[in-house]
Amino acid sequence: MSAPAEPTLPAPYRIVARRQDSADVFTWTVEPLGEHAPTFLPGQFNMLYAYGIGEVPVSISSAAAGEPLLHTIRAVGSVTRPMAALPVGTVIGLRGPYGTAWPLAEAEGGDLVIVAGGLGLAPLRPAILGALARRAQFGRLCLLYGTRSPADVLFADQLAAWRARGDLELRVTVDRATPDWTDEVGVVTRLIARAGFDPARTTAFVCGPEIMMRFAGEALLRRGVPAAAIHLSLERNMKCAVGYCGHCQLGPHFICRDGPVLAWPRLAGLLDVAEL
Amino acid sequence: MTLRERVESQRFCQGLGEAQCGELAACASERCFAQGEFLLRQHAPADTFYLVLEGQVQIRLALPGQGLVTLETIGPDEAVGWSWFAPPYRCQFDALATTPTRTLAFAAEPLRALMERDPTVGYAVLKVLVSTLSERVQSCRLQVLDVYAPPAGQR
Ligand SMILES: Cc1cc2nc3c(=O)[nH]c(=O)nc-3n(C[C@H](O)[C@H](O)[C@H](O)COP(=O)(O)OP(=O)(O)OC[C@H]3O[C@@H](n4cnc5c(N)ncnc54)[C@H](O)[C@@H]3O)c2cc1C
Ligand code: FES
Repeated sequence: MSAPAEPTLPAPYRIVARRQDSADVFTWTVEPLGEHAPTFLPGQFNMLYAYGIGEVPVSISSAAAGEPLLHTIRAVGSVTRPMAALPVGTVIGLRGPYGTAWPLAEAEGGDLVIVAGGLGLAPLRPAILGALARRAQFGRLCLLYGTRSPADVLFADQLAAWRARGDLELRVTVDRATPDWTDEVGVVTRLIARAGFDPARTTAFVCGPEIMMRFAGEALLRRGVPAAAIHLSLERNMKCAVGYCGHCQLGPHFICRDGPVLAWPRLAGLLDVAEL
Repeated sequence: MTLRERVESQRFCQGLGEAQCGELAACASERCFAQGEFLLRQHAPADTFYLVLEGQVQIRLALPGQGLVTLETIGPDEAVGWSWFAPPYRCQFDALATTPTRTLAFAAEPLRALMERDPTVGYAVLKVLVSTLSERVQSCRLQVLDVYAPPAGQR
């Protein structure tokens, strides 16, 4: 998707499919009504506008090439809850893509560790697919995914397919297990010490709740991953998404423009700052 | 790797002398568990300190009305249990091997006696134990925080 000429004007898109991923998470497949070349980079987000309801930033969860445009959304509040009820066929507004991307090219030649917490798996999915598409360019590839409970595991079929490949170390953990759960139990940060990678030549991508990212970053540093090689994706309340309004400001950064993907050294001391 | 080499390669042996490592090794044995076998049982005497070498162990607790709940899983190079260190030396949880599991098992009584007798060894073991414990407490806090829960007001 090339950025629209008028950056705050949404283009019409139709919801052509909808999948319920868990009790409160769903994925939309959307298609442009007009001419619109869909190009974006893994990690970028769009502003989705449900007409008459409101507009929210949502990451792109599809592969950068070869898949229709996907957004995986959690119904949490006044915009995303009504969005969850929109039927297939509804036309929504979409503007973007915005923001910085996961630095996949920078990670080539070394190991890549991806740490996802909860819905954080969605913005990381394009990066995982991007790395798998160029698998030979990376050393070891680890995906460490933690979520609340077995019922909250996202993209279960996709995870099974990735595990079956044998060239990606996939570890899945839940905070709260049910009796039938046979995988790992405990917070996702515990998996960082268990995964097989060479810290000195590792790049890490981390996405999830901020508190989880802070502890994951610290665990990666303890393991010996260089601070500059740790990248996090931040979420702050957004309005314009193009660096005009300041709603998304975190310290010196406007997350919509300088982020959402930022390297750890640029976030020093900022992960505890409350939302505006 | 011999048992002695296995013990010497543990973090708490770094900085200890030959004789001290030998004394630690004298408390140790390698013990294997089949999938489905228990390392520890709730309420049983905590007479062993296990370090996992290979495999996976679940720490479980029986909750009235909910059956057995897994609280965390333990992997290679991680310790299982510390009830052996403090009175009343009773296990608080079950520890179940969920895959074939190989461990380094230290007999608690001679280990405690050695730590008491030689505070350098005691301090070395405790340093590792405390750092493991603090990591676990931190993880536990995050688990309790329920960070992936719906935002406040939406639950
Ligand atoms: C760059 C970026 C990418 C994002 N990607 C995704 C995505 O892929 N999928 C997705 O579901 N969401 C994503 N979000 C979050 C999404 O934008 C918010 O959940 C949404 O704006 C909430 O709007 P609402 O009006 O439905 O909820 P509101 O009524 O605004 O809020 C309801 C409750 O949710 C809380 N809340 C709102 N936003 C967030 C947030 N970001 N994190 C935690 N709690 C929040 C509020 O504090 C409130 O308690 C992203 C946000 C950003 C900034
Ligand atoms: S959302 Fe307006 S400046 Fe970032």
